[in-house]
Amino acid sequence: MCREDSRLHLSAEEELAAEESLSIYCKPVELYNILQRRAVRNPSFLQRCLRYKIQAKHKMRIQMTVSVSGIVNGGVLTQSLFPLYILLARLVSDVAVAEYSAVYRFRRACILTSFTGIEGSNQAQANFILPEINKLAIEAKSGSLAILLVSFANGGGCCLWGRIPLESLYMSLEKSPNLSLGQRAEMTLPVEMHSCSLKLNCLNEDKCILIQNSSNSLSMLQVIISAEEAGAKEKSPYNSYTCSGISSSSLSHIIRLRAGNVIFNYRYYNNKLQRTEVTEDFSCPFCLVKCASFKGLRHHLPASHDLFHFEFWVTEEYQAVNVSVKTDIWRSEIVADGVDPKQQTFFFCSKQLRRRRPKSLVARHVNPVFLEPNLPAGDCELLDKVHGGNILQNARIGEVECVQHVPSSFNVAGVSGAAGQSYSDSERVQSVSGNNLGPPALLQFAKTRKLSMERSDPRNRTLLQKRQFFHSHRAQPMAIDQVMSDRDSEDEVDDDVADFEDRRMLDDFVDVTKDEKQIMHLWNSFVRKQRVLADGHISWACEAFSKLHGRDLVKAPALIWCWRLFMIKLWNHGLLDARTMNNCNIILEQYQKQGSDPIKG
Amino acid sequence: MAKTPIGLEPVVGSLTPSKKREYRVTNRLQEGKRPLYAVVFNFIDSRYFNVFATVGGNRVTVYQCLDGGVIAVLQSYVDEDKDESFYTISWACNIDGTPFVVAGGINGIIRVIDASNEKIHKSFVGHGDSINEIRTQPLKPSLIVSASKDESVRLWNVHTGICILIFAGAGGHRNEVLSVDFHPSDIHRIASCGMDNTVKIWSMKEFWTYVEKSFTWTDLPSKFPTKYVQFPIFLASVHSNYVDCSRWLGDFILSKSVDNEIVLWEPKMKEQSPGEGTADILQKYPVPECDIWFIKFSCDFHYNAAAIGNREGKIYVWELQSSPPVLIARLSHAQSKSPIRQTATSFDGSTILSCCEDGTIWRWDAVPTD
Repeated sequence: MCREDSRLHLSAEEELAAEESLSIYCKPVELYNILQRRAVRNPSFLQRCLRYKIQAKHKMRIQMTVSVSGIVNGGVLTQSLFPLYILLARLVSDVAVAEYSAVYRFRRACILTSFTGIEGSNQAQANFILPEINKLAIEAKSGSLAILLVSFANGGGCCLWGRIPLESLYMSLEKSPNLSLGQRAEMTLPVEMHSCSLKLNCLNEDKCILIQNSSNSLSMLQVIISAEEAGAKEKSPYNSYTCSGISSSSLSHIIRLRAGNVIFNYRYYNNKLQRTEVTEDFSCPFCLVKCASFKGLRHHLPASHDLFHFEFWVTEEYQAVNVSVKTDIWRSEIVADGVDPKQQTFFFCSKQLRRRRPKSLVARHVNPVFLEPNLPAGDCELLDKVHGGNILQNARIGEVECVQHVPSSFNVAGVSGAAGQSYSDSERVQSVSGNNLGPPALLQFAKTRKLSMERSDPRNRTLLQKRQFFHSHRAQPMAIDQVMSDRDSEDEVDDDVADFEDRRMLDDFVDVTKDEKQIMHLWNSFVRKQRVLADGHISWACEAFSKLHGRDLVKAPALIWCWRLFMIKLWNHGLLDARTMNNCNIILEQYQKQGSDPIKG
Repeated sequence: MAKTPIGLEPVVGSLTPSKKREYRVTNRLQEGKRPLYAVVFNFIDSRYFNVFATVGGNRVTVYQCLDGGVIAVLQSYVDEDKDESFYTISWACNIDGTPFVVAGGINGIIRVIDASNEKIHKSFVGHGDSINEIRTQPLKPSLIVSASKDESVRLWNVHTGICILIFAGAGGHRNEVLSVDFHPSDIHRIASCGMDNTVKIWSMKEFWTYVEKSFTWTDLPSKFPTKYVQFPIFLASVHSNYVDCSRWLGDFILSKSVDNEIVLWEPKMKEQSPGEGTADILQKYPVPECDIWFIKFSCDFHYNAAAIGNREGKIYVWELQSSPPVLIARLSHAQSKSPIRQTATSFDGSTILSCCEDGTIWRWDAVPTD
């Protein structure tokens, strides 16, 4: 039920802008929707408490008052009756102590100091709250509850006690017509008082009264009991919202509102437009929590939804809230304009990027880009690790074809497409997006292992110098030059250890000969160091292996035999082509010739 | 532990003292109120065979045992950090023979103190948690090995300050390492045991070049290529609870857990397949009331006798090399009631020291039998 304020006429663009500004109100609702779904099984503590309180308020109960009006038949008591204690007690079924004729357990004792109707008496009635009539029936049937009237011995007399069993009380209440109509029911009952000796046991919460030697009745008291249903006031939600002085009939042109209804007016588009919504049961329109009263709603809204500004006003006709957007908050909680906060942080991390960003660019979608730097230093280190360097000058990740040429600039080599190549051409990559609702473009990182020294921020360098750093694997303290160096030894595979472990693993096999193990070890070591990862690398790897180990292989015919077998296996699996196998064999033959020449002399 | 076939059950020693040697209390020192966790005689240097060191709280103290039961205090070192609590101590020495006292504790830093000029020589940082035991290689006393709560065992060179090897990883201990020991004759072997109930034997053979390199390393210690040894050559589950002390007895191992006995067993390794092997339990030396962990035993120089305390303050001295095991003596004193964390046996077994939870050191001397 919404009323739209259509005083303004808007153009299409303005309509869009207006819609957009209204959507600010929708975003929190979306969030709370998600939270509500999650809260179905795991409700929030405060909301749950509030709900219980509201439920309790609406629960029906019977309020009962007990008072003593006098002694029946105008009898006279030998002792003072007061102070008289009225208890709602439960008979303890397992009477462990045989000498007592009855043991009752009770929680609270109400004191009566006089008969009702006597002037100047301050405590003349006792109040109890009983569950509503249907629940009371169950209790009554159990037969253990009773109302006790107890008077302790004072002034030399004996103790008196009297009992009203709950079943009889219940039956009279049920019969009373007033109670079901929501009005007060009154009845007068005579109660016999017996003399006895009493004992009181008080243990924490549970107090027990033990009665013994109960004699015949001494006198009869007249007890007045009145009962009324309580908590049932808001039986019907359709009770009209009444305000003093106005009769509801004169407001017939206004829709009959329920008591819990609140009108919300949302102001948007620079407060030019307004949209209205009504909620029931004092619910908040954003998080849908039911507040117990208008006052509760008045506190809840500014506390929980401080994005908005609220004005509360109550008139004879309705209770309303005006909602407007706060403009003085410093940062937006909502991801406005589709700018990903992740991107924004990277905006400011490097000064160079700021310099490069042109001023004309709308600051919504920029892909900060890290250039692939020239990497002469880093690659040399890679080469050093490898024996027989001239084979592997270009062994960057993924590229094995260009064995032959030695490039002067490493950027040109057909490096794997991980963003390295394309950026070396363009200085800046920008994508301007006109549509702010599209998804933000993700950062494209070049997968560089090393960043050149000039690029690191001087600020970061001073931080590195300030404290002691430790190697991540060995926990040994690092020297400052190690910290500043480009070398990152984090995930380096320790070749010696890897070789050792490899040998050990191979040793575990019992059905492999020594030579086979040797070939396996050589191949594993080679593959690990050269990073032969893909199927396409195998042909290059076989040729390179032959060149590398050829000299040793020809010296041991058994090894050559294993190596040739292995190549056949690779050919079987389609990893090695015939031409490469031929090349490998030619290489081995050359070594053989070289080897045998000196022998021949 | 599989059922042993008939005839191969371990021989259990009897608890009746043989009275081969009688001991009596000759001195009792109270070193503060903090528990003393270790006491060790110096077996590295024969000049100092009667010098011993104790640790408790953040203090390291060096004493000398003199005739007549006299104990002289020689040196005392206190760590700056008053929350430090040293758990272990060992004697080492430099390549030129200067005696070092090496202590480690809850802070995880190993302190190498030069006892000759009373200055700290080096501090070894690297362990991730407290250090439970430090032992010195008697054949090469510049090498020490440390067992730590961070589940690793590290080999250090006290001369150059380098962490040479780290014994941890896929095959390493899975809980705190409580004790470690060097093999007496095989310089490559060490045995470690810990809270994962296992005793592991490691070999440094393949990495010996690194050990030798560590003596001649001139660059920064942190640049040394420390290697990880991930796989032990032998694994034994002799005990079913924390193993808190293990020592080599020749090629056999003496180890104890918290089940009131010291066990002597032989590790039988399979040549071809490391990691598989059996433990043949030979003998058991019962020690009553020794069921709390972190109680260590000690042996004399020639491993003729082992002295071990228990949590009631009594000491049992067992003869190690006899079968069935013979209890040499049972030492008890009415006032010694506090748990004894470690004992120290002198070179020839004539003096036995014990350090207790209540900060006392008891000295027992053998009564000369003439």
